Amino acid sequence: MKIDLRSILVLAVIGACFIVLPLAIDLGSSTMNILILLFVYIILSQSWNLLGGFTGQINLGFAAFFGCGVLLTHLLWKSGVPIYLAIAVGGLSAALLAGVIGLPTLHLRGAYFAIGTIALAEALRILVGNVFPSSLSLPGTYASNFNVFPRYYLGFGIAVLTMISVYLLVKSKFGLAMVCVRDDEEASQVTGINTFKTKFIALLVSAFLAGLAGGVYSFNRFYFHHISAVFEPIWTFEPLMAVVIGGSGTLIGPVMGSIFLVVLSEIFAEILGEAHLIIFGVLLIPVVLYSPSGLVGWIDWLKKVIGGVGKPLVSEER
Amino acid sequence: MGIFTQTIAYGILVGAMYGLITLGLGLLMGVMKFLNVAHGTFIVLGGYISYWVFTRYGVNPYLSIPLVIVVMFIIGLVVYKVTLSPLLKLPSIGNRLNSSMLITFGIIYVVDNLMTILWKPDVRSIVAPFTGRSIELFGTKFSVTGLCGFGVAIVVAVALYFVLGRTQFGKHVRAATQDAEAASLCGINVHRTYLISSGIAIALAGVAGVIIVSSYSISPNSGLRWLLVAFVVMILAGEGNIHAIVPAGLILGLLEAGGVLIVGAPYRQVVALVIFIVILIFRPQGLFRKRRLTYG
Repeated sequence: MKIDLRSILVLAVIGACFIVLPLAIDLGSSTMNILILLFVYIILSQSWNLLGGFTGQINLGFAAFFGCGVLLTHLLWKSGVPIYLAIAVGGLSAALLAGVIGLPTLHLRGAYFAIGTIALAEALRILVGNVFPSSLSLPGTYASNFNVFPRYYLGFGIAVLTMISVYLLVKSKFGLAMVCVRDDEEASQVTGINTFKTKFIALLVSAFLAGLAGGVYSFNRFYFHHISAVFEPIWTFEPLMAVVIGGSGTLIGPVMGSIFLVVLSEIFAEILGEAHLIIFGVLLIPVVLYSPSGLVGWIDWLKKVIGGVGKPLVSEER
Repeated sequence: MGIFTQTIAYGILVGAMYGLITLGLGLLMGVMKFLNVAHGTFIVLGGYISYWVFTRYGVNPYLSIPLVIVVMFIIGLVVYKVTLSPLLKLPSIGNRLNSSMLITFGIIYVVDNLMTILWKPDVRSIVAPFTGRSIELFGTKFSVTGLCGFGVAIVVAVALYFVLGRTQFGKHVRAATQDAEAASLCGINVHRTYLISSGIAIALAGVAGVIIVSSYSISPNSGLRWLLVAFVVMILAGEGNIHAIVPAGLILGLLEAGGVLIVGAPYRQVVALVIFIVILIFRPQGLFRKRRLTYG
């Protein structure tokens, strides 16, 4: 593993900015909330990418894991469990749920996993809607000593931890197995990779991280009009969208996709309301069809074009 | 005793409709290996067209089926041409399947929100003079809309069976399903076969939408509910086993009616999910097939 000093320096500077900036300047609560939402999206898209981008298993019921984290964190926190413990339990329960659907479906090749996850999310949405028909809220004492900073730093911390763990996982031998399974399942089985175990572990890690994202989201909200809304497919669509637009199977892609998505939805949601999802859908289709490497691919292309200026037209690159 | 025969009658009527819902999805999956996640959304779109014709011109929903078929067929052609045909260039079936899921997942959001703009997010249903009536046969009640849905499902399934089994086009479809490359070497225009099959698949979704809007109700984002049903039926029938879809739908309808009798109507989807997981564990190749799937 080659460690590039310059890129580490750049990352450290960016990280320091995120840590120092809210302390130095008063950003206002709406900006802080957008940043927290951005962290939630980064965690979600990184964990979707771990399974969808690196392991090649399309999860269309991602909202189930996120919603499970939100719901459990909320309920545990309300019953007096410390918030950090509640978030961890939310993540673990999401992983447990993933095990239930992963065990029967990941043995099979083809669309079974996608179908199973979408069925799980939909069934959970209806079940939760039936069990909690009215709104859920925390008692007023929780709101009176509200402070945005712990939420911000928790979101930032978990986002950074997610990125580091995805990085380490992908760079490890296990990550190599994941990419192998994605590229050719039969061939990787022949070379001695336990494909089911690889897919299953990737699913568990991905679901655990999604549950943590749910915890961060839940920490920042005191009131849910309909708790079943967190199980809605929009919570699958947006992380998936962020990964595909940013560039699936890369580390930086989901981050760029999340920033792109959050910024765009802030702009469009004000002008167009719900209809901004049409634009996202229309954007997604050509990216999947014609530019599967997403924003990362475009940046590489730009680098090549800019780097190529002033060089002879016929390069000796081979 | 009455409640049992009534449950069975209900299960059969609903089950035939479940079969009808799945036909389009099964055709697209079986022939082209495209998993159309937007299938439920196209069902709802077909329902809206029928609803619109009914409220505008008072046309009986069952008479609007030909119109819905034509409109949805054209939509199917456009969807195939614009979004799905580029996927055929992808190197492997797995890639094609994954990309088709992502693309149709995007289509859901486009069509859902367009429908919300066009028809408002309210829940709609067609209330014709015969809605809510029921006929009593052998001491059990059959709702008129349910019987009509049953009839349409059987007619459509038989028609599809004849098209696929007895016509030249059907022969082309079967050849392209078995081996697209060999079929095109034999002089079959595989792209045209795929194009028309996609049109038929989306048109079938539209017909299912007409049945749903006249006996249930639709709203712009209710597509996923029907998609889930279609998935479970497709797994029961076995992937790509188009002729087993209506029997599988009947089985799901009966199982679900029995399950709802025990746990209550709000948990209908949960019953379907449990059936789905049990089937995947014990008979992943579907109920009607002897061959075992290759495990991966």
